[in-house]
Amino acid sequence: MTVHAHVAPSGTSRVATGITRYWGIARITPLGELLAPPRLSANALRLGVQIFLVVCLWRALYAQTSHVAGLTREQAVTYAVLATLAGRMRILDRRYGRDTVLQHMHFGTVIYWFLRPLAPRRYYVLRALGDQVYGFTWALVGYAICLWAGAVSLPSSTASMTAFVVSMLLGQMILYHVMQLIDLTCFWTLHNSAALLILQFIQNLLSGSYSPLWFFPDWFNTMSSFLPFQFTLNVPLSLYAGIIPPSDAIQQLCFQGAWVVGLALLTKWLWRRAARRIISQGG
Amino acid sequence: MHAQFRGHENDSDVIVARGLCKVFHTTKRRPGFAGALKSLVAPERIEKTAVQDVSFNVSRGELLAMLGPNGAGKSTTIKMLTGILVPSAGEARVAGVVPYEERERNAARIGAVFGQRSQLWWDLPARESLNILRDIYGVPRSEHRARLREFDEMLELSEFWNTRVRHLSLGQRVRCDLAAALLHDPPVVFLDEPTIGMDVVAKEQVRQFLRYEVEQRGRTVLLTTHDMTEVTRLAGRVVLINDGRIVMDDSLEEIRRRFGGTWQVHVTFVDPYAANHLDGDSSLAGLRIVRREGPRVVFGPDEKHAPAVHEALKRITQRYQISDLALEQNDLEDVIRVAFQRQKLHEGADVPPSNIAEISAAGVHER
Repeated sequence: MTVHAHVAPSGTSRVATGITRYWGIARITPLGELLAPPRLSANALRLGVQIFLVVCLWRALYAQTSHVAGLTREQAVTYAVLATLAGRMRILDRRYGRDTVLQHMHFGTVIYWFLRPLAPRRYYVLRALGDQVYGFTWALVGYAICLWAGAVSLPSSTASMTAFVVSMLLGQMILYHVMQLIDLTCFWTLHNSAALLILQFIQNLLSGSYSPLWFFPDWFNTMSSFLPFQFTLNVPLSLYAGIIPPSDAIQQLCFQGAWVVGLALLTKWLWRRAARRIISQGG
Repeated sequence: MHAQFRGHENDSDVIVARGLCKVFHTTKRRPGFAGALKSLVAPERIEKTAVQDVSFNVSRGELLAMLGPNGAGKSTTIKMLTGILVPSAGEARVAGVVPYEERERNAARIGAVFGQRSQLWWDLPARESLNILRDIYGVPRSEHRARLREFDEMLELSEFWNTRVRHLSLGQRVRCDLAAALLHDPPVVFLDEPTIGMDVVAKEQVRQFLRYEVEQRGRTVLLTTHDMTEVTRLAGRVVLINDGRIVMDDSLEEIRRRFGGTWQVHVTFVDPYAANHLDGDSSLAGLRIVRREGPRVVFGPDEKHAPAVHEALKRITQRYQISDLALEQNDLEDVIRVAFQRQKLHEGADVPPSNIAEISAAGVHER
């Protein structure tokens, strides 16, 4: 019998082994979807219908007017379509595969996360990264089709596009940490799935996923500015649509960077607490 | 920095537990809405000792069965040895590693199956799960292929390993879980009720596989189970645990000898008078009367100088005229039950586990 995990090869082969190892973990959720063609086509159909309805809805809302809350029809439609596509980046539903953190806690299978030669936090990161890259591929294909069909407009300048790309990346990092926080609460709130649903709803509402935050009253936006949610979607999409000018981008990117660092520290601390909870209470 | 490990261990001991204790701290919920509010404001904290002073060793290539009722502390002990739980007191070492201090290093040296909890990915074909675990554990592909071939020969995995785990039967899934636990060739395997709920055919297949892994591959296995057939077929040594304490740690043979009586002979005498005047008959030396109802007498072996069952039958049939005779051999379940019952009788007397059998050997035969 041999012990593999710590008999690590050196140099290039070590890197190759690491990549193989991480790739194997990252592709778990996408593989589950790719191996189920009906689910794959259902998701494609759902996304197509969703975008079509979103375009129809926002065009109808602008039928009698050219500007609402400072947004033109094109800006509003572009924002709404991109928000729908961005949603696809994290729509991979692990509930089918009994693979959410809550389900692992419920079924007691979370103990296996602590029985492998891989830190649970790293496993979580790799899984999230795989899901994100797969979702991004969907969003990119969807974006290309929408661009071709005229459902979205290109940003007004290269500066806007660049600011959008960086902001979207930071936004996804914030979102990852926010989702991670929600997942980590499962280590304490196993019997409180309703609270988790409310938390997810708040996250969607305040991120501007349902509607651009520009349509909400001032008090709502003031409150939202103290929270990380708007930086996940509303800020990057506003940069893309030109609602936030490129000259204000640096400030927004700094806010986003600060949230990424703050949330990363918080989740790191929570992981330690979660692991301690497992090791004091068992699986 | 590793803790200095105290206690006696031989070079051949792969699993060593010394004075393991685990105390859980929880809050007590009060009944009703007012109680819930009160619990929120001023929670009542309680301690529950799940495992207390548990010590044992398991040698290389040995299969040790840990038996006990639900809530006895078996799973908690296994969780401490796998590194999931940190003991409140005591020490443990598994394959040279203190499991709760070096969890990742320990993980590479152990395999584990926890009853109906699967480590396979529900939404993927079983074989994909095995490939992912291959990558996680860093098993070379050639070794992985060879090992899968070996597992397939014994567990017939290829019949269903392309099926999604969600569609596998319990027996199929457990067989895949066993393969997953042994895929990285760990020297130590922890099995917490692995065959629970399985049909007899699948159970037998798993038993044969485990026997092969222990006898041919030299793996060290710690098994918890409620299935006495499994214990009989697989375990040479048994640890009985109850209320978090070890009641007995001995070979299966010795436990049978101490608590089993191992057999009973049911005799119906032709002459009822003879049945009532058996005391003092020297031809029945080494036999004791377990029960007597008119002409029907049940004999069992005495604690000392008991004859073999065939010798007992010979003596009875040669000496007396009998109209009916039946032989009943006690199964392991009875033996274990008796051992636990005797432990309960003596738990107030502060008796060391190893002395329980001797003290209670008063000829009582609980059935």
